[in-house]
Amino acid sequence: MVDVAEGLVDINSILAALEATSLAERLRESLYLFPLIESAHVVGLTMVFGTIAIIDLRLLGIASARRPFTSVATDTLKWTWLAFALTAITGFLMFMTNARVYFHNIYFDLKMGAIALSGVNMMVFELTTRRSVNRWDGSAAPPAGRTAAALSLALWISVIFLGRWVGFTTTHATPTVEPDVDIEQLLPK
Amino acid sequence: MSQFAAWLSLTRWSLAIKVHEWVIPAVQSVHIVAIGVVLASAFMIDLRILGWAGRDQTLSETTARFSPWLTGALVILLVTGVIMVLGEPPRELLAFSFWSKMCLVAIGTVAAVAFQVSLRRHALQWETSLVHHWGIKSLAILTFLIWVCVVVLGRLIAYDHLWGSWSMSPKA
Repeated sequence: MVDVAEGLVDINSILAALEATSLAERLRESLYLFPLIESAHVVGLTMVFGTIAIIDLRLLGIASARRPFTSVATDTLKWTWLAFALTAITGFLMFMTNARVYFHNIYFDLKMGAIALSGVNMMVFELTTRRSVNRWDGSAAPPAGRTAAALSLALWISVIFLGRWVGFTTTHATPTVEPDVDIEQLLPK
Repeated sequence: MSQFAAWLSLTRWSLAIKVHEWVIPAVQSVHIVAIGVVLASAFMIDLRILGWAGRDQTLSETTARFSPWLTGALVILLVTGVIMVLGEPPRELLAFSFWSKMCLVAIGTVAAVAFQVSLRRHALQWETSLVHHWGIKSLAILTFLIWVCVVVLGRLIAYDHLWGSWSMSPKA
């Protein structure tokens, strides 16, 4: 770790500590836990994407176009959050098993960035377009709402693609069950 | 089956998929996007039957909104699924997870078609009495759980050794 920036050494020791926890160790040693957690992650993320898509398609006027936006949102958003919680928890558990490898994986970083951006996009929508929902609830969403919806769909689809690329560049290159991955090889020289 | 898988591996189409390493993850990603549409569509119809969502709409309206998306996404799943089988025949065709998944997909599809046909024929009965029937509500929960199991088994294809001797995969 000699020629690595000071800050990165700190984060690496935190990540190493995460990998060394007894929970992470149990997840790595068990034959069943990782596959089952990964399956729950897929169930969660498909529900997150599917329920968000229902709202985005309403905003875009493609589906449920005539139904009040607030009705569509109350039907779906609570489930989106429940599914997001499942996805985040299972995602963190998988991250723990091989934290340094994931952290230094470019697709993982891009995926986290895309999730953060869709969070920002959602907050901007909630604080602007959503505030005036009374004016457009039963009709077409204003252009800003449509833009937010298109952005949201694009970002979540990117998250799915990036997630699959994380799987292909970490599991196949270095098996997740392999506890002693040489981190030096993964860092930029 | 392993001979068939071996033969399929050497076909032009299979080799074409294999030489381009990005094809399998890309097709898997499209597959997952389509799963999201199927799962959420089935979920919204089932919630409507349970009376937990869409109560401002009739069951027919909710089904009309979601069933075309469910059907369309199932077609995309079939196409991307075929590409994945062609790309890695032994991984899929020798997996216990794959075949049990296919059985559940068949059950889920038959249930979805039967529901839509019945709803079209007996719309009034569905709206007034059937939707309140506990047996129908249980079936709504059951069909959603079938799709959840389909997703889980789909992911477990990558870990077929977990099934031990039930798996035909030589790696198990």
